[in-house]
Amino acid sequence: MRRVAITGIGVVSSIGTGREAFWISLLEGKSGVGQVRSFDTSRLPVHLGAEIPDFEPEPYFRRLRPGCMGRASQLAVAAARLALEDAKCDARSPDRTRAGVAMGTAGESLFVERYNDYRANGDENSFPPEYYAGYPCQVIPGHIADEFDLAGPNASIPTACAAGNHAIGYGFDQIRANRADLMLCGGADSFSRIPYVGFARLGAIAPERCQPFDRNRKGMIPGEGAAVLVLEALDAALARGVRIYAELLGYGLTCDAHHMTASHPGGDGIIRAMAAAVRESGIAKEDVDYVSAHGTGTPTNDRVEAVALHGFFGPRIASIPISSIKSMIGHAMGAASAIEAAACALAVHTGWIPPTTNYEEPDSECALDCVPNRARQTNPRVVLNNAYAFGGNNACLCLRSFEGVD
Amino acid sequence: MRKRVFASGAGVISSIGAGLECFGAALFRGDPGIRPSQRFGGSAAEVLEADLLRLLPEKGVRTLDRTSRLLTVTVQMAFETAGLSPESAGETHRDLGLVCGTVLSSLHSVAGFDWSGLTEGPRLVNPMAFQNVVLNSPAGHAGIRYRLRGLNSTVCAGMASSLYALEQAAECLRLDRAEVLLAGGVEELCEESILGMRQIGLASPTERAHPFGPDRDGAVLGEGSALCVLETEGSALHRGVVPLFEICGFGAAYEPRGRRKQAAASAADAMRQALAEAGISAGEVACVIASANGSPETDEMEACALRTVFGCRLDQVPVCAPKAIYGETMGAGGALAVLSAGLALSRGLAPPNVDSGGAAGINLKSVAQPINGRNVLINAFGCDGNHASMVIGAWKN
Repeated sequence: MRRVAITGIGVVSSIGTGREAFWISLLEGKSGVGQVRSFDTSRLPVHLGAEIPDFEPEPYFRRLRPGCMGRASQLAVAAARLALEDAKCDARSPDRTRAGVAMGTAGESLFVERYNDYRANGDENSFPPEYYAGYPCQVIPGHIADEFDLAGPNASIPTACAAGNHAIGYGFDQIRANRADLMLCGGADSFSRIPYVGFARLGAIAPERCQPFDRNRKGMIPGEGAAVLVLEALDAALARGVRIYAELLGYGLTCDAHHMTASHPGGDGIIRAMAAAVRESGIAKEDVDYVSAHGTGTPTNDRVEAVALHGFFGPRIASIPISSIKSMIGHAMGAASAIEAAACALAVHTGWIPPTTNYEEPDSECALDCVPNRARQTNPRVVLNNAYAFGGNNACLCLRSFEGVD
Repeated sequence: MRKRVFASGAGVISSIGAGLECFGAALFRGDPGIRPSQRFGGSAAEVLEADLLRLLPEKGVRTLDRTSRLLTVTVQMAFETAGLSPESAGETHRDLGLVCGTVLSSLHSVAGFDWSGLTEGPRLVNPMAFQNVVLNSPAGHAGIRYRLRGLNSTVCAGMASSLYALEQAAECLRLDRAEVLLAGGVEELCEESILGMRQIGLASPTERAHPFGPDRDGAVLGEGSALCVLETEGSALHRGVVPLFEICGFGAAYEPRGRRKQAAASAADAMRQALAEAGISAGEVACVIASANGSPETDEMEACALRTVFGCRLDQVPVCAPKAIYGETMGAGGALAVLSAGLALSRGLAPPNVDSGGAAGINLKSVAQPINGRNVLINAFGCDGNHASMVIGAWKN
């Protein structure tokens, strides 16, 4: 079975664009949260979001015109360009038919919102036809392939808040099954009023800040962003002599089969996803030395996640650092776990673990070492990246630092 | 050695009927499901309300939107045909999962949720409706109802979505991630999809689909859902079931915008990958289930790709374009085509074509033709550059 290396990282986030800016901000504990600017929240009880304040798509485009596509696509193409530059590679070479794309997303729902805006003004007949074509979510990986002229497998995985991990796992499979030699994969989502209103109605949005695992946590902060990883067959990456951030070892997908919007109280599906990822990766759970939590900051999510982590790791959980970068960049929906996977790759590459910020008061229901407020250098080797979604979906990726071919 | 993957059951609901038997009977009669819509103006290949209502479970369906309802009844039928109990399969098979292909999924729920917030104010939005806003909600609802605790994924690759989904599930079975998985696709007709397809010029203004035909002017939109129960050879033997067919090969290729003139070469590449993976030559293909839906450009592209792959022998291979019968069902289309291919193998006949008019060099007969061989090639090509092909094979003990 072919091995898979992560050789490029591109991130567009509310705390920085580009691998380095993003990583420095994460380690410094910066916050991307502010007043929502992209739509009116005056009729809602909450007003905060983690939007990217200054994103200009034009510099990332050579072939396509960004004005013809939705913001999720713009963020996706920008992250893909950053990732390819970071990997110092032309994905078309040597064979464009062996380079593919897989992106997780919640979709270009902005176009649905725009249509409804036109309709509310009695003006739907002047809704531009190209907006219809910009909606179906295959356009997001499609735009990446169009911009970089890639002819390999091309898929969107719209599995909500676990979509980034799903897409990275899908890309991993394409390389291992020898359907592709290089995959650009990750996730992209734009800030959007549909999930904002939905999460607000569920009472899941925090009024002031996102405090994962804190006793006084009050909810999540919706966000946006994109991350794209360059996955390459390990032998090809070694032949190119390129920097390898981490090796992707395996992943696990499960479904709680319990409730559409609430996790299984015992964390059953989460535990099985971690177990599947560990099993497929050919490691022991004792090898895991960092977990990137889903950590949305809602009272229930974090409690269930803690139950699952205790259930899976047992007493050793006390010595495993667990952090949630959603405390800084909010919850970027379909992009979230892809951005977190980028952070995991950087953690094993640099030896540093990003913190869980806004952490003040421990919660006995979340007895975890959540790396409170300050980044920590622990030189993790094997890390898990957890993500959960509506529909009871759980997805866990396992990455390891690359220390040469055994 | 690569593990073999079989389809041991199939569920289907479409404009031409529900259940593999009804679907197959209408397909081989050449009895189109395109008729005046029961819910919208104009004609469409719409699932009959009576079919859906008859099959829907009694409880727990109120909060499901139409897409989820279509998928739910399909899961139920798929289990029953595979000799699995819908009530207990999730308990006996711990890693049972679902991979669902779709393009627009719950778009109607997404639009309705936003519309409610916009017009009535966000505080009056029904929070229960939010669960249907995620595009994986049909797969999620099915996971909960049938206790599918293994992988649960949703894939969107345009018209190729459900072939991608079937392959993703097959790959997971080959990798021992599960022994039994459901895979296929779903798509509903809704006012938003009808409007969108008209606006982007995909819909036939005359509401007649003539795949490959000289007077074709677009597709007729349809809806439906089709799923296969896929399992490893070991699992099928252990359960003592007779598989319907084998998943033998898959190919996928994308052709970027601006290079669409090369789209036929890309589609041919997808077909060749599928043939190579199945270990057969083009000459061994017994029948082709085409993707053609009546679109002027994409049908021509597919005809050109078929000529590239089959060469001068193309006129000897029966080709069937069933979207003239069950419409363009987008995310469900690939899976409906796979089931059509499976029926062709089990009957030893290529389904007849209706309303085609024929295309130069393509063997499109209006009556069912005997087929010669054990493999059928299925195409799922879109105008968006997504091309996928699959080869299935007859079950041979």
